[in-house]
Amino acid sequence: MCISIFPPTKSERTLLEISNLNITYPGHESLAVISWQIEAGQQIALLGRSGAGKSTLLNTIVRGSPHIRNQSKRLAYLAQKPALLPWLSVIDNVLLGFKLRGEPIDRCNSERALDLLTQVNLESLAHRKANQLSGGQSTRVALARLLIEDADLILLDEPFASLDRSTRIQMATLCKTLLDQRTVILVTHDPRDAADWLGTAMVLSNEKLEGPFKLSDFNNDDVLINALGGDL
Amino acid sequence: MMWHIRYHARTFSLLVSLWWGIVLLFEIPHFILPSPDRVFLILLERLPQIAGHAATTASEIVAGLALGTLLGLATACLIGDSERLQRLTMPFLVISQALPVFALAPILMLWLGYGFASKLAMTTLIVFFPVTAATLAGFRALPQSWDITFQTLRPKNGRLFWLVRLPLAIPHVLSGVRIAASVAPIGAVVGEWMGSSSGLGYLMLHANGRGQTDLMFAALVILCLEALIIWNAVNWLSHRFDYHSPSIH
Repeated sequence: MCISIFPPTKSERTLLEISNLNITYPGHESLAVISWQIEAGQQIALLGRSGAGKSTLLNTIVRGSPHIRNQSKRLAYLAQKPALLPWLSVIDNVLLGFKLRGEPIDRCNSERALDLLTQVNLESLAHRKANQLSGGQSTRVALARLLIEDADLILLDEPFASLDRSTRIQMATLCKTLLDQRTVILVTHDPRDAADWLGTAMVLSNEKLEGPFKLSDFNNDDVLINALGGDL
Repeated sequence: MMWHIRYHARTFSLLVSLWWGIVLLFEIPHFILPSPDRVFLILLERLPQIAGHAATTASEIVAGLALGTLLGLATACLIGDSERLQRLTMPFLVISQALPVFALAPILMLWLGYGFASKLAMTTLIVFFPVTAATLAGFRALPQSWDITFQTLRPKNGRLFWLVRLPLAIPHVLSGVRIAASVAPIGAVVGEWMGSSSGLGYLMLHANGRGQTDLMFAALVILCLEALIIWNAVNWLSHRFDYHSPSIH
């Protein structure tokens, strides 16, 4: 019998606690010192100029640090360049996590993968090789893989940056539906990507993390430029 | 593949025309530079003999290419995950390439004798470094964001390497093998020059000693053909595995 997995419900449980984390590149001065608390179910954008340390922060969350208390059982990560294996089919890429963990891929898992591909409108391409997909299709496959992992903390590192504006809007609509009630951190330098489906943002600038801000406030370019440190 | 053959045939015709033109124009004596027709005739006359020597050289090149590729791949797999091991072993790998095979040949002859083994060792040595370096470059080419993504999928020991990292490095490995295939004949021929009783290198030395320049050239032409065939075979194989290319489905 197949067991349905429901999305986690919202709670006030602290999922991630970052205390005085010093973000730095090897051999460089400190980019920022961060303290931040993420509650379960919170969905937030992390804005900042290129090189501010946004992606480094996500990498550190994945890799772990003594300054990070991560209560999540499973993490999922989606980057700008979707990590799809070009020789595998779309459905095999969705099920890659099971293969890497050595878990059997039974009928339930296959059905769930197909169901997720249907949700991202890619069911007809399930058996096509990943190297035959467009950028938008690849991102949707990566999104399906992220969803099948049932992670309780989802980290998105500018996943739509390389897509055209109309595809980005489609992706935002999909994320809004599929990632509803999940805990999400979306890293972006373009608040429009976030405003399509998120309400609040933190800003990493001037060596510190500030916020939360209303994303709608950043519709005004001057406010945005000022929040990002006065220079784009 | 057919396109490559046509391309090589055109280049070959151009070279032969040029060669013939030089011989006729400057009236070069045949014992200095024989004309292509003399070389062709000697090829036909001595075909069974030349074919036997060609088979010896081909077997040395192919076996050396296979063994060098296996050893290069294995070495890269062993040290690929460890920066420290790479730093430790890199000087030895560079030395293996920097020392001319001519310098090592007498030692290898002394250790392995005048038979197949010493030629195999020389060819393997020449092939080993380009394959190791290309494979390591393949491992390093994995974008950091991909590495993080795969880590979040919580891979079990070794599975990430066998299912993801190694297959992703294969196009790099094959580009290393392509480079190695173009230099592998050097190892085999140098080995044959140093001491052997068979092979195209041996035949060239033998013919040279008897003033048979046309036979020397015939051996050289066959060696060129062999090198081209082996390189094309490796090139074809590497394109079959080029899964990044949208044209290969």
